[in-house]
Amino acid sequence: MLLLDVIQAGGGFILIEDTVQCSGRGLLRCFINAALKRGEDVHVLGFESPETEVCAGLDSSCVQRLHFHKGFPDPLGWTRRSSFTVERFASQHITQLIKDTQHAKAAVLVADSLSMVLRHHDPVVFCQTLQELRQGGVIKTIIGLLHSDLHQQGIVGIVCHLASTVISVAPADNERHSVAKTTRRTKSGKVMQEEEYFSVSEDATLSVQAKPRQPGHAQKERDVSEADPTSNLTFNLRLSEEERKAKQKVALPFVFSQEKKSALLKPTPGSGRIVYEPDANDDFDEEDPDDDLDV
Amino acid sequence: MFPELNSILNSTPDSFKSSDFILVSDRRADASFLIHHHLSFYLRAGCKVCFLGLVQSFSHYSAVGQRLGVSLAQAREKGQLVFLEGLKNSIGVILQEDTSQETQPLSYLRTPGAGLEGLFRFVERSVRQSGDGDAGESWGPPVLLIDDLSVLLSLGVSVGAILDFTLYCQATVCSELQGNMVILVRCEEEDADDDEEGSNLLRRGLVHQCNLALHVEGLPTGYCRDIHGQMEVWWRQGEETIYNQRKIFHFKVHDKGASFFARGTSSAVL
Repeated sequence: MLLLDVIQAGGGFILIEDTVQCSGRGLLRCFINAALKRGEDVHVLGFESPETEVCAGLDSSCVQRLHFHKGFPDPLGWTRRSSFTVERFASQHITQLIKDTQHAKAAVLVADSLSMVLRHHDPVVFCQTLQELRQGGVIKTIIGLLHSDLHQQGIVGIVCHLASTVISVAPADNERHSVAKTTRRTKSGKVMQEEEYFSVSEDATLSVQAKPRQPGHAQKERDVSEADPTSNLTFNLRLSEEERKAKQKVALPFVFSQEKKSALLKPTPGSGRIVYEPDANDDFDEEDPDDDLDV
Repeated sequence: MFPELNSILNSTPDSFKSSDFILVSDRRADASFLIHHHLSFYLRAGCKVCFLGLVQSFSHYSAVGQRLGVSLAQAREKGQLVFLEGLKNSIGVILQEDTSQETQPLSYLRTPGAGLEGLFRFVERSVRQSGDGDAGESWGPPVLLIDDLSVLLSLGVSVGAILDFTLYCQATVCSELQGNMVILVRCEEEDADDDEEGSNLLRRGLVHQCNLALHVEGLPTGYCRDIHGQMEVWWRQGEETIYNQRKIFHFKVHDKGASFFARGTSSAVL
């Protein structure tokens, strides 16, 4: 159960990729909840959604370890009501923000969403910031939500490459669940991949089921009885005995028996002969190239 | 206001969901009839409406509104409707005759790269006004209507700037003031590699933000005299975003309204 392992272990840069078909915010809430339950301090940079949506259903006993930095409703500073704007997504500001609000424990940084950050920062600078944050020592885990259908494929690829775990969510045929494809890279270089069904409950807990190997299983179970196609027709498709014998006797035009073959291929006297004297450079092959023809 | 659409969306002028962001989009079809529906719906519900009419004149909406039973001129006089007439005012901005504050919302015409902060400030001012009419009546929750947002793309505004603008509008109108938002976006044909800045990218960004997406297209099988197209209703709940429901209906637009029916049940067929 790779997804559950990733949620419970934490660590590294975890990227949740979603599209319009299926939102990843529910999964993000599960990650936040799991980190809170582990006793870690969680800092959420909320640029896109209100606090009520991102923190819905979280365990109320751990809520004092949750610090929601209000980007939304003013992520760009237009109305001067935000405590952290998108512009300030830089390693020195974030590190300062975390040091200001807590003690020495390693923190978890959650970004909702990285798409908003990428819209306002150069991708190269963004990647540098992420690397600096990971190596800074103040942050143990970075969890980011990215809307992969809002960026160029190259940019999405860059961010995935930086991540130690990438989880792509997609809708499943079953409406109650969604599918998560998790790719995890360990420090040793080993890559683990798994596809699982999951659903998020109201209190932000995750329930996971392994994906069945044959998605079309239900359809194969239908009973298909062999029906005789030549019955119930207004014309006759059947053969009587004589007709069957006559059919078998018909000599097909291009199927040769052995006698006919040798009769046709035997050279008659007086016909032209081909005298071939190979050159020094020629690659003369004694074999007949037409030998394998079944004529 | 179309009664059949009200029953599909389960809303009436007396009781409708608040804090809703409704996205209306179309592809090679015309979904503006849905804007007329929502305009008459919210005016009838007694809401304060801020309408950014960027592509048609006031008299156009007024004429259609008459057929649907609402008087836009009266609503504007009473202060219930705030109408930004994009076409008329843009001449002034481009020729720079009029430098009064009224032209600030259209500042993107001269500096498209600077973003839509001016337009947002206009929207914020309009929806925050206490809006007391002559009789001292106060209006219901504010509603923002935009027709249409994709025209800003052709004026040089970037997709990112438009998405920022709609995010701010949603934060103010929907989250803070518990009002509703209805935005029309017109899309082009889908391309295979659609990473480029364009109306499809804008639509995807807006679908991420919205609660309800109504997408209008022609019938996939071609032109039909009795069915003008199909409309896909996509409910995207805010809280349980994992479950979203999509349904397709056929519609026919006529003089005083539009009728909606399930696929295959057009009166021409049955």
